[in-house]
Amino acid sequence: MKGWKRLITAAAIVGLISVSLAGCGGESKAPSQQAAGEKYPVKPVEFIVPWGPGGGADQTARTSAPHVEKALGVSLPVINVAGATGVVGMNKMLAAPNDGYSLLVYTADTHALLATAGDKAPFKFEDLTPVARMIKAPSFLFVKADGKYKNWADFEKAAKENPGKIKVGITGQGSPDDMTVQFLASKGIKLQGVPFPNPSERYVSVLGDHVDALYEQAGDVRQYVEGKQMIPIIVFNEERFPAFKDVPCSKELGLEIYMPQTRSVMIKAGTDPEKVKKLGDAFKKAYDTPEYQKWLDQQYGTKDSYLGPADAVKFFKEDLASMKALLKK
Amino acid sequence: MDILYHLGMGLLQCLSPVTLLLLVVGVLIGLISGVLPGLTVVMGVILVLPFTYPMSATNAIIVLTAIYIGGTYGGAFTSILFKIPGEPIHVPLLWDGYPMARQGQAAKALGWTLYAAIGGGLMAAIIMVVVSEPFAIVALKFSTPEYFAIVFLGLTSVIVLGTSTIRQAVISLAIGILVATVGIDDIYGAERFTFGISILRDGIDYLTVMVGTYALAEVLKRLEEGFVSPTLKQVGKVKTTFPTWLEFKGQIGLFLRSIGIGTIIGSVPGAGATVASFVSYGMEKQYGKNRKEMGKGAPEGIVSSQTAATASVGGALIPLLTLGIPGSGCTAVILGAFLLHGIQPGPQVFATSLDMVYTIYASVFLALVIMAIIGYLAVKPMCKVLDAPESVSSAFIMVLCFIGAFTIRNNISDVWMMVVFGLIGYVMERYNYPIAPLVLGAILGPLAERAFLTTMISYSNNWTVFFTRPISGVVMFISIFGLLFTIFYPMLKSRQKQTTLGQ
Repeated sequence: MKGWKRLITAAAIVGLISVSLAGCGGESKAPSQQAAGEKYPVKPVEFIVPWGPGGGADQTARTSAPHVEKALGVSLPVINVAGATGVVGMNKMLAAPNDGYSLLVYTADTHALLATAGDKAPFKFEDLTPVARMIKAPSFLFVKADGKYKNWADFEKAAKENPGKIKVGITGQGSPDDMTVQFLASKGIKLQGVPFPNPSERYVSVLGDHVDALYEQAGDVRQYVEGKQMIPIIVFNEERFPAFKDVPCSKELGLEIYMPQTRSVMIKAGTDPEKVKKLGDAFKKAYDTPEYQKWLDQQYGTKDSYLGPADAVKFFKEDLASMKALLKK
Repeated sequence: MDILYHLGMGLLQCLSPVTLLLLVVGVLIGLISGVLPGLTVVMGVILVLPFTYPMSATNAIIVLTAIYIGGTYGGAFTSILFKIPGEPIHVPLLWDGYPMARQGQAAKALGWTLYAAIGGGLMAAIIMVVVSEPFAIVALKFSTPEYFAIVFLGLTSVIVLGTSTIRQAVISLAIGILVATVGIDDIYGAERFTFGISILRDGIDYLTVMVGTYALAEVLKRLEEGFVSPTLKQVGKVKTTFPTWLEFKGQIGLFLRSIGIGTIIGSVPGAGATVASFVSYGMEKQYGKNRKEMGKGAPEGIVSSQTAATASVGGALIPLLTLGIPGSGCTAVILGAFLLHGIQPGPQVFATSLDMVYTIYASVFLALVIMAIIGYLAVKPMCKVLDAPESVSSAFIMVLCFIGAFTIRNNISDVWMMVVFGLIGYVMERYNYPIAPLVLGAILGPLAERAFLTTMISYSNNWTVFFTRPISGVVMFISIFGLLFTIFYPMLKSRQKQTTLGQ
């Protein structure tokens, strides 16, 4: 794990360096408390990615930023500040004034902290105001392509015949992955979740037959899916996923659990609603560009990924409530 | 012949001025990040990653790979000359390279690392090109029991390392492992030994332990002696030379063993260059024919660790290119670069972008050659640094220690931590407790714990899997045999002596 810790640390350094570089650029004096109806934005808006470069959150920011820049007319420097499941970067955003010049990528993993850590969570949802949800990618169970299981029926049968013997690679205890495994157990499908915090070990574990299945979003294992090394057997979603029409969705099987990966844009609470709306519209424009849509397809994101400020608030509140309900069981 | 043709074409691609320049820059950045403690190779690769976004995919991968290769070698200089390990992989060089330099053979020690880095790198690159498929299949056979067995081998080998008694080595190792447990654990998220102090929650980075106990403690020791160690004057005057061809020929077996260990461990996702370097040194120390001299300045100690470290790069690239699985922290970042350029490494890459794969292969060879030239040119001027008065060089070492500790995560508390470990290292050395096991425990402890816990969860608490699975069983057997041998052989010998005396 130290390797990943260092990755994250290093990413934080990259972030800090870019922050200081960004700081060197011309800084126009903009008082944080301004009269309504002011011109916005008039200076660069920083876009904080609380994860390392190259990952999913980073890609979300870097794919959308050029188009948002066009819509807003100012630059949107992307800054990576990784650490503590996205909380280090969030703290940086929260430390800035709520004048609309600091944005944050917010992932489902960070959101899950609110449910798992409860009152001890390192932040409050009320500190944040959603601007847009930019991607929603459902989670799948994958198995090795030429392995024992061809489909969900085989897998479910095996799991029911050997309760607790079928292994699933997950990120860690208390993660959304783990919550799904727990939920399946409550429905009589008792699996053994095996935590691999390091993604490459998780992928090797299923390719090398050390675990039977892998819990993951399709975009993260795209090379294995396209290379016919892994096949999806179930999607945890309300409907089947267009790219994998033969794969059953959890709803039709009566397993009502949906823990998709989502990546959204957040701003500090208390920001002028006008500004939030303007940002939301700019991100919608970016979302509608062919480039962004192409990336969304590659990530196996759903077509209804985008949510505006108001819808996003509703989504996050409901999501949190359902996670909490799940944990109580 | 197909391979040679493709490799030749790849080489031609690499010889374009831009690519060549990128290769040189990459190797240089790698060497520098290897030299600075705290700035690890992985960080070097990450720092450069954003600059590769506008490049072509091939150039981006080439520059990152060049940094990776250079990074496994740069730290050799500071380790041998100043006892500062720039990277954890170079800790074994402190045990043999530094004493060798103190004996007036700095250039020879550096020469051995150069040969080792080139030899290991080139052989592993050849393996990567010729037999990558079977290697990748072997890498898939490794799971957590095997990771644990390999790390366990690394941990047991340290017990035989030091010159002091086994008892002291075990105490030191236990402290190191305890230090590693501080913070939030990976598997269950439990807080351990944090005492409610926020700086302890993030854990103690092993880099602070490594830099403090080795480099800072060394400066403290020199301070106590009043910076008058007489050996240094000799070091400056004694003419040192590269190892000769004859000396090299005598070590070919050692090279081959270390290359094998480095390539295999490098290709396994749960381990990397550091583990490769430790295990290779440990194996040589336990089973090599010159094991008695190791730890006092033997070339075997330098060659075994450096060869394995650089060979692990080729090893780590095998699963990355053939399966799309990163075998180490650096290759994880390189995988990110592939994905950002819309390329999915894996079997299909060989079908769709064969040119690119071979251009990357060729660039590895070229990067090694460039590294060899830079390294060769640097050895003589670097040795001159030892001419400087000890007090001056010690001041620079202090500066490097502090910068290094701060760079780890831009956190001033890491600097304090480093100072604390500097004092601990100083005290331990005074009372003849070896430092190596402490540092190794701090580096390998978390790897061992994670592999052990995951295995326990995965195999429903059945500990026999470590012995019943073929690969882990063999590795465990080697480590336990080595351990028992080191403990009981001296006992047996002293008893024999006693009986002969009694007669």
